[in-house]
Amino acid sequence: MSLPLQILLILGAVVALAVVVQRIRKRKILMEDAIFWVVFALVFVVIAVFPQVAYVTSELFGFVSPSNFIFLIIIVLLLWKVLQNSCEISLLKHRINELAQEIALKDAASTREDAGEDD
Amino acid sequence: MRVLVIIPAYNEEECLAGTVDSFVKECPQFDYLVVNDGSKDSTGDIIAKNGYAGVNLPINTGLTSAFRTGMKYAHRNGYDAAIQFDADGQHIPTFIAPMVEAMEREHADVVIASRLVNGGKLGGMRGVGSTMISGLIKLTSGVRITDPTSGMRLYSARMIRNFAKDFDYAPEPDTIALAARQKYAIVEVPVTMQDRQGGESYLKLSAIVKYMARTILSIVLFQWFR
Repeated sequence: MSLPLQILLILGAVVALAVVVQRIRKRKILMEDAIFWVVFALVFVVIAVFPQVAYVTSELFGFVSPSNFIFLIIIVLLLWKVLQNSCEISLLKHRINELAQEIALKDAASTREDAGEDD
Repeated sequence: MRVLVIIPAYNEEECLAGTVDSFVKECPQFDYLVVNDGSKDSTGDIIAKNGYAGVNLPINTGLTSAFRTGMKYAHRNGYDAAIQFDADGQHIPTFIAPMVEAMEREHADVVIASRLVNGGKLGGMRGVGSTMISGLIKLTSGVRITDPTSGMRLYSARMIRNFAKDFDYAPEPDTIALAARQKYAIVEVPVTMQDRQGGESYLKLSAIVKYMARTILSIVLFQWFR
């Protein structure tokens, strides 16, 4: 792994952390959702500070260069996050629909009660 | 048998009054519930003005969710059966009674109003899609459904409960496939249908590809894990 890639990784991690902290300050992300990005950034720092980790593992799995291995890790982490987002959005859709249904049924029930009192 | 007729309506100001009035005239013995799915036109006003039995979803949630609203109402009010009935005038109310009779006679869980069981034909792409879905259901469950895309289906109390409680239980052909595989009794009753009496379809052209992809994937792949 080249020195520029090490520096890039650390820089990337610092920027990522700064952005996440900024989002938390501005109340744009929940702490529980920020955890992923903090861990994501920390993975970069670990790899940059201890490049041996990348060397040993990439050799073990037969990668041509450690940077390829690092890219793969990043892609896997991101794909996993996208899938997780997909699931969460599905659940949110389901819950919004459930809420709307309950509101509709409650509204109708209370209107009927009101009408009953008028009779 | 207490039957609830569920009429989902999204922007159906042109057809709704005609549909409900002709239904009430033809079938005074059945209760009905219009589910206004967050319409942007005057559908809600028409329900209020005419004093129709109806509920209003505060946002547009889609046909599945609108129908499930009706199924929750049926479940909570102890109905024995519920039928999906289109607001656009495609479905003819006089066929409801024979469907209910078929359910009682055959102890069925699903009664489908079939345009094809007596040898009819659907034209164009609709026919191709329908034949394909029919074949997939036969393949995965062994049950022959002639008109799986018919929107007019009568469901038993057992099915009402599933619609009211389950996750991703849609009034679509893949649910029929799942029910068939789970040995729910499904029968078809011959009907005729009309062209929609105005307004715009729930299923726009752009949605058809998505509809087919969801239906096919659900039947051939996902249903084995449900």
